[in-house]
Amino acid sequence: MTAVFTPVRAPLAWRTLGGLIWRLEHAFERARAASAPQDSRLRIAFVMLAFGFAFVVMAIGATHQALFSDNRAGPDGAAAPLEARADLTDRNGALLAADLPHFALYVDPREVWDVPATRQALAAILPDVAVKRLTKALTGPKRAFLIGGLTPQQRTSIHDLGLPGLSFEDDERRLYPLGNTAAHLIGFADSGGAGLAGVERAFDKDIRSAAGQGGVALSIDLRIQAALEDELHKAVAEFTPRGAVGVVTNIRTGEVLGMTSWPDFDPNQPGAATDDQRLNRAAASVFEMGSTFKAFTVAVGLDSGVANMNSTFDAREPYKLGYRTIHDYHAARKILTLTEVFQHSSNIGTAKLAEGIGPQRMSRYFAGVGLTRPAKVELLESATPLTPRKWDDDAVASTSFGHGIDVSPLALSAAYGAVLNGGVAVPLTVRKVAPGTQVEGTRVFSPQTSALMLQIMRANVTGGSGGSANAPGLSVGGKTGTGEKYDPAIRGYSTTKQVSSFAAVFPTEGGPNVERYFVLILMDEPHPSAKTYGYSTGGWVAAPAAGRVIDRIAPLLGVRRNLAPKAAETAAAAPASEGL
Amino acid sequence: MIGVFHKRFRGFRIVNIVGLGLLVTLVLGVYLAKTFAWRERNEIAAVELQIRQEALRIRLLQAEVAHLEQPRRIQALSSGALGMSPILAKQEIRPADLQKFARPKPEPVIAAPPSSAPEADPRVAMLAVRPQALQP
Repeated sequence: MTAVFTPVRAPLAWRTLGGLIWRLEHAFERARAASAPQDSRLRIAFVMLAFGFAFVVMAIGATHQALFSDNRAGPDGAAAPLEARADLTDRNGALLAADLPHFALYVDPREVWDVPATRQALAAILPDVAVKRLTKALTGPKRAFLIGGLTPQQRTSIHDLGLPGLSFEDDERRLYPLGNTAAHLIGFADSGGAGLAGVERAFDKDIRSAAGQGGVALSIDLRIQAALEDELHKAVAEFTPRGAVGVVTNIRTGEVLGMTSWPDFDPNQPGAATDDQRLNRAAASVFEMGSTFKAFTVAVGLDSGVANMNSTFDAREPYKLGYRTIHDYHAARKILTLTEVFQHSSNIGTAKLAEGIGPQRMSRYFAGVGLTRPAKVELLESATPLTPRKWDDDAVASTSFGHGIDVSPLALSAAYGAVLNGGVAVPLTVRKVAPGTQVEGTRVFSPQTSALMLQIMRANVTGGSGGSANAPGLSVGGKTGTGEKYDPAIRGYSTTKQVSSFAAVFPTEGGPNVERYFVLILMDEPHPSAKTYGYSTGGWVAAPAAGRVIDRIAPLLGVRRNLAPKAAETAAAAPASEGL
Repeated sequence: MIGVFHKRFRGFRIVNIVGLGLLVTLVLGVYLAKTFAWRERNEIAAVELQIRQEALRIRLLQAEVAHLEQPRRIQALSSGALGMSPILAKQEIRPADLQKFARPKPEPVIAAPPSSAPEADPRVAMLAVRPQALQP
């Protein structure tokens, strides 16, 4: 079999390209044929052209790279962010914490010409540095660190001395320009840039990652914080307690608008403060709150159908429950309606209501509003409450009026929010919530129960123990609380050491969509003053401060006064029942 | 084509002159471009350094302002030096109610005819129009 070769004709483009290469390959042969010396010249010319072309390509590339490359760092290297931790601001952008440039001073004794003169000059500018330390650095064998945290002004002062042997290195420091203001909430960071307390610790990761990209906005409003601190400090000056707490929250969003704990400290110098000063009593301490818990009992009674607004409770005689007898602090000795039980802060009435509610329901509701676990808030200091080991009738009776259960002020604030915001348990937050955000929560009470509780709280201010918290036109509602403290020395409850508080809400008027705010003032072991006729109960020491706080912050929150007189409300006067 | 390599100008081959010219142009171009770029980058770096320094100064000033404007200090100054205190509820007013508290307009003064009245003292006339003008 014979194979037949059939030539395949290539496309025109390939044929043209092949022809060009063929002509180039044979150019030398043609040149040699014409003239032998021209052969080498052609080769040289060809190599020169090839190198020239490569050089042109590289030159264009180098020029393009030099002129149009996006290397913005410059000869100093990559541009580093100005700070290692982001700024902290309040909800309106006011600066609370910032990383600012500081400098560390180093001394190289080998370059120091005149040790006594250098020591004298440095001692004048740095009086905090001990002379012994200064001498050691100036006479040591090698370059040594002398002091860090110098401000730019201090650095300039030292630099202007023109002394040899002194050098500086960057030393970024966290600065809290407001000093003690909101110190417990803001917390502090160490010199290495790690958050150790408060928001600085809680948001440590976020603060680090947001460095150089704007600040982290907190929920607090500096104006509200200032008013809260000012009024709390005035109350502290009057009643000289062992400690004090103030909290303001938005009960719809759970935002903490103000939070203060006394005694306080300067976060710029946390090491100079005592443990007691650094203790955040609002989050990290638990107290037996006393009668402020009656709001929860009444709310549970209403919500569970055990009681209604027409229910009555016989408070004429002390109530015996098991082995104990429950008394009223100032007995009304009459049959009380539910509102009167609240207004008179009747332990007997509340215990009888709690007995009807029962242990299971009571513990379930308490858990629902968050009273049996640490307050849901970002702060890591949030304390675990002390709750009854067993929810029996005795525990229910005790907890119904705030005994036998210790919770933090923040936990109490969150639970009150659930009672008063329409019945939804919303976690507290110290991070700013964008306006209009619908915050998710867990429904605990019905909206009807919540509305009734607003009425009852208001009635307690207009005609009950919270009269001194009334603020004109702001329809303040509230509940006093006085918890006797357990005294290990006498192995029982002290009659002189108390935790006095006032839990307030405003405005109680308006529909369910009205923005409402919760205010808590708490005094740990306050002392009576001449003005309080020897009393140091919540109605006397905490309610007035709460009223003043509300009076000052309402305009800042956009809550308008309604000064039209109401027939249903009687003018508030002195506390009706010594303000338990 | 080959003839190009033979052409000379004043004893030098034109191809060599052209090649040398191209080489010099390229070297000079790259040198200028790199120099220009180096200056530009230095300028950019200097401006960026200036921006960083200004930003630091701004941060320092912001911190200083925050320190000076801290509420405790402002309140201490306003109450201590100026005798100010938080406003009371009765001192608050709505914009709609401002009219109630507006100062009433003074009654217009009707000047007497010149023929029947003595010449008016201009100081008295001024007082009549602006009764509060000379009040302490």
